[in-house]
Amino acid sequence: MTISLPRYHSAPFVRTSRLARTWAIVRREFVRRARWGTLLAVGISFTAVILTVTFDVEFTSFIGAVTAATYYGPYTSPAWPLLTLIVAATAGAGSIAEDVGSRAITLYATRPIQLVDYLGGKAAACASWIAIAAILPGVVGVLITATLALPSAEVALSALAAFIATGLLTTVFFAGLALALSSLTTRSLYAGAAIFGVVLSLYIGVAVVVGITGSAYVPYASPVTDVLSVAHAAFGVSGTPPTDPGASAALLAGSGVLLTAFAAWRLSRIEVVTE
Amino acid sequence: MTGVVDAQDVTKRYGEVLGLNGFTAAFAPGITGLVGPNGAGKSTLFRLLAGQLRVDAGSLTLLGYDAWGEGDFRRRVGYCPEHYALFDWMTGEDFVETLLRVDGFSRSEARARAARAIEEVGLTEARHRRVAAYSKGMRQRIKLAQCVAHDPELLLLDEPLNGVDPVGRAALSALLRQLQARGRHLIVSSHVLYEVERLTDQIVMIANGRALAQGDLHRIRDLIDTHPHVIDLETPDPRGLARFLGSWDHVVAIEFPGPDRVRVQSRSPEEFYRQLPGLVVSEGLDVRGVHSADDNLDAVFRYLSEGHP
Repeated sequence: MTISLPRYHSAPFVRTSRLARTWAIVRREFVRRARWGTLLAVGISFTAVILTVTFDVEFTSFIGAVTAATYYGPYTSPAWPLLTLIVAATAGAGSIAEDVGSRAITLYATRPIQLVDYLGGKAAACASWIAIAAILPGVVGVLITATLALPSAEVALSALAAFIATGLLTTVFFAGLALALSSLTTRSLYAGAAIFGVVLSLYIGVAVVVGITGSAYVPYASPVTDVLSVAHAAFGVSGTPPTDPGASAALLAGSGVLLTAFAAWRLSRIEVVTE
Repeated sequence: MTGVVDAQDVTKRYGEVLGLNGFTAAFAPGITGLVGPNGAGKSTLFRLLAGQLRVDAGSLTLLGYDAWGEGDFRRRVGYCPEHYALFDWMTGEDFVETLLRVDGFSRSEARARAARAIEEVGLTEARHRRVAAYSKGMRQRIKLAQCVAHDPELLLLDEPLNGVDPVGRAALSALLRQLQARGRHLIVSSHVLYEVERLTDQIVMIANGRALAQGDLHRIRDLIDTHPHVIDLETPDPRGLARFLGSWDHVVAIEFPGPDRVRVQSRSPEEFYRQLPGLVVSEGLDVRGVHSADDNLDAVFRYLSEGHP
């Protein structure tokens, strides 16, 4: 008599692409990140930016020609980048930290996906929220003014491009920062505080140091100043920006990519031992 | 070694603390119970197998692949973690479906498989409730559902019956046996020894990060020569029976735990069971029941771990 173990047989199926598998993470993660703080900051961004843009363009159209620079209003103060920072802190802080802290990361890590897919999903969800706060209000503002036939099509398109370019650079940097700091801790609160603290202290610290030393290089260290500088150039505003816009743009994009790479490196070394 | 899971001298440290200390074992196909007290290293081994931890020394493979790493072989593995941290903001159905989508199933296939897996673990009625509202037992079931939903070849189940009510335990145990009957390999850890004993005879015993013994539970028991086997016999005349048993060389002690019972300690259970029928027939003895009081996991583990403080 021969005794043999039952054989494993699994019904064949067509596996979806890596992109589709990553999308499953993005979808769920995006919904998960809809926190009150995030929604509030997004709501304020929309209201403030749309009102500013509409008022500025409406007012200018009475007294003269509307240009792309007319749309620069939301960037005349650091308020919008700082609101975007709040979105980055509330939506991005828990991206990795919560999964590692609760050990729920194992539910993803034991699936046939690669580290880059997991991180890509997290980054896309976090970046989507940041982009909603950093790009969309400006775009909607332009569309509203265009609907009211206030700017010419050429001006509207230039303003649109300026909002998108500046918003994209803001998104890349803040998303990278959020992921990197989120990968350093298992508490989203710490990561959120660090995201906010790093950017805010750099902004204030740089202002203080520049006030004392008058250095032309120190302002590059502040991401908010870099964003304002890029916007200054993108909207074609007259005058001298605080930093060279090209260098600031390269800094924002480069450090965003480097910070995301750092998060990937951290993830590849994370061992889940939290009790 | 050619097991489903092969561990060769695996060492894992947490700073100064040794999680696993030269752990060597081969897990055979079918159901294998990984048993040991709390802190023995069971969860460390599971986390190593799940790719959450990396071995500091030695080698650890599952289905022939290095346990630390990512790749397609993970689709052939299902992992039911010990912890209860799940995606609490989702419904039970969304939770299983999302993980199936990450596994690479289409939306419709994922939905169908999620429904099937949830039904198998008996959570169909609660599938639309948020995981956050689930009881401990329900969380255990939904974890099991996500573990089996993609039809894996190897299931790593870390304390799968913990927190489940007795009726649920019976149902889940039956499900695990069904999975084995369908050709799946299961590694089931538990510190509740009788649970594992009811599932399988194939065990790996672990204590202080080392494998104490592995293989068939009863065979392991036979190899423990230093502890005489305890055998209970039911008879209306315990003292009459004891007179004969006392003359056998391998019988080292006789007790009378009840008015109709004799408890014998024998150094050679094989010899005992060979001689007993002959004695009963030749002397016309009335023996109504025989059972080994310590041929069970609890006793075996106790004996083995005595030498491993």
